[in-house]
Amino acid sequence: MPTEAAGRPATLPRSRGGDGAPALPAARIVPDWLWGVLLVMPALAMVALFFLYPLGLSAVSAFQGRDGGWTLANVVKAFELYSLDMAFTLAIVLLSSALVAVLSVAIGGYLTLGENRLAVTLLRWLYRWPLFIPFIVAAQMMRSFLAKNGLMNNLLIGSGVIEPLQAASLLDWRGVVVTFVWKQTPFVALMVAGAMASLDRSTIEAARDLGAGRLRILGEIVVPQIRPTLTVGLILSFVTMLSVMSVPMMINPNSPTMITVDMAYRINAHGDYGVANALGFVSYAMAGLVGWFYLRHGVRQGGAR
Amino acid sequence: MKLMTLRTLLAGAAGLALAAGLSAAPLKAETVLTVLTAGDQNMVDYVNEYLAPKFEAQNPGVKVRAAGTGPGDGGSQKIYEKLSAEAAAGAAKWDVDVAVIHQKMAGQMVQEKMLSAYVGDVKTGTLASRDSARNALGTDVTGYVLPMFHSQIALAYNPDLVKAPPKTYAELAEWVKANPKAFGYNGIKGGMSGVGFVTGWTAANIGDAARLEKGPYDAAMKPAIEKALSGLKEFNKSVTLTPGNAGTLDMLNRGEIAMGPVWVDMFYSWQADGRLNPAMKLQLIGPGMPGQPMYYAVPAKAANQEAARKFIELATSPEVQADGIVKRFNWYPGIDATYVQPKLDAQTWAKLFTDVKPDELASKGKPFPLSGYFTDIMEAYERTVAN
Repeated sequence: MPTEAAGRPATLPRSRGGDGAPALPAARIVPDWLWGVLLVMPALAMVALFFLYPLGLSAVSAFQGRDGGWTLANVVKAFELYSLDMAFTLAIVLLSSALVAVLSVAIGGYLTLGENRLAVTLLRWLYRWPLFIPFIVAAQMMRSFLAKNGLMNNLLIGSGVIEPLQAASLLDWRGVVVTFVWKQTPFVALMVAGAMASLDRSTIEAARDLGAGRLRILGEIVVPQIRPTLTVGLILSFVTMLSVMSVPMMINPNSPTMITVDMAYRINAHGDYGVANALGFVSYAMAGLVGWFYLRHGVRQGGAR
Repeated sequence: MKLMTLRTLLAGAAGLALAAGLSAAPLKAETVLTVLTAGDQNMVDYVNEYLAPKFEAQNPGVKVRAAGTGPGDGGSQKIYEKLSAEAAAGAAKWDVDVAVIHQKMAGQMVQEKMLSAYVGDVKTGTLASRDSARNALGTDVTGYVLPMFHSQIALAYNPDLVKAPPKTYAELAEWVKANPKAFGYNGIKGGMSGVGFVTGWTAANIGDAARLEKGPYDAAMKPAIEKALSGLKEFNKSVTLTPGNAGTLDMLNRGEIAMGPVWVDMFYSWQADGRLNPAMKLQLIGPGMPGQPMYYAVPAKAANQEAARKFIELATSPEVQADGIVKRFNWYPGIDATYVQPKLDAQTWAKLFTDVKPDELASKGKPFPLSGYFTDIMEAYERTVAN
């Protein structure tokens, strides 16, 4: 059985100096920066292969006709047929993000400042469950929950809150918002609650000693300190919601709808990758805008620390 | 030491892979017949659970492997893209032996010479004589396809809420005005029953409906199509838009809508499964609503041409059409009904035509428009109705 030494390749040059000169570490032969590049290469290759290449391909095909020539027709058609859907998409995602912000701050706030031990434990145990449910399952659940004769209305009618005739279906834009908010709140709340838990509690205690109410402490002491975390969570949610197709497809596939549904429709029904990619381009633009905020914010935060 | 361990590990892994490969591979060179089907999961189930065991019993050594590519024209689009990629790569043999596709893509694939003309070589080739066996949305597909089944779109309604269902599109528009939100359909992005309803509306309102089906395609018809659809925007204000084919049936069943267009086979299957109130009824309104067949096709360079033909021969035989297509799935047969009827009991036969009588089907069951018009209608809808 070969020994450890024999198994090791003996080709590494041990020294470049004359006899008796101290052996130089092997790393010196390859400049330090190259090691860095080599280490980053696999990750970079993945990004290039699975993100930059398809991104470029899709950007190019947005401006190509079916015959391969350059054209603006796809973009023109995308705006002509789907400008309403673009505005709708942006509105839905912005509204959902705003509601997620309010709810996640409320949850995080109660976990940090709540005084009822039992309620805090219960909330802590409960609030993150939607994280483990895929969007498509959430959408299917909401379909039977929010329908006109669905579970929600049946509960409300059964408990006498509303009359049967007042029951209305929420399976339209409201259903999409409800599903998005239900699904994304735990994600942001998890980040926000973590940030709140790691705050220096002395400021909170000081405010409490001075007689500030819990709401005021939350709004004026806690939230300003965790704002960076909240922003990052919301930006990530924004981009996630922008890319979801199953939810609008299953809850509100008719017009106006989100552009993910339109993209799928162009490809599936018409084999029209040009317009689908043009729509994708609009989607990049929206994501790119918040991405820019994210980077700007990240750089500023990195600089401050 | 380390090298040795690595080598041992590699050898072990290779041995394992070999063993796995051996156990997975058939003991002798068995023929695997690959069937790709567009359409809902029920199509895959039909092949796997019904056709495959029958075929494998008749042909020892052949194994049927079926995969689904999804509902609607999108499913056929995926089959097309796969074959066209194999063709572009210059593959000598394509790994799809039988494809089950929609009309729109069948026409395109025949034009691009991607299918083989097998119908003359199968015994059941002469049993299908309906127009749809020769013509797919304006493209001559004679010899390249055999219909697996026909399905039809009709209005499903709740007789408790609708005593006198409308008989034409015009009556329906009146009814919808009088009963806001009680009619539901799924637009054009949620499935083919909505698409069919919209094309039927266009045909009913365009004056020259025959041109949409018979052609030739004339791009100058676009304004007429937009005009025919203009009333639909107003109509849509008083209807409920449902999420998908299944969504329409769901809402009908829960009493949220009183009427809506559905696929006849889906309607009967849901009733048979107990998922839809058995009291619900169907009405085929005039001047007509579209239906479509699914086709059996054999790709031009399918690896197992001979087995593929045998498979289709079995699938289009009167026995299988009667027992599998009509009895199990409530589809209308793909081959002529005269060959199927003797193989069925009177009760099953009658069930297929309970609400929609054979003569109604003959006069009001229409094909979808030519694929050029079809695309124009869809885009006109998005431009004038959805926006």
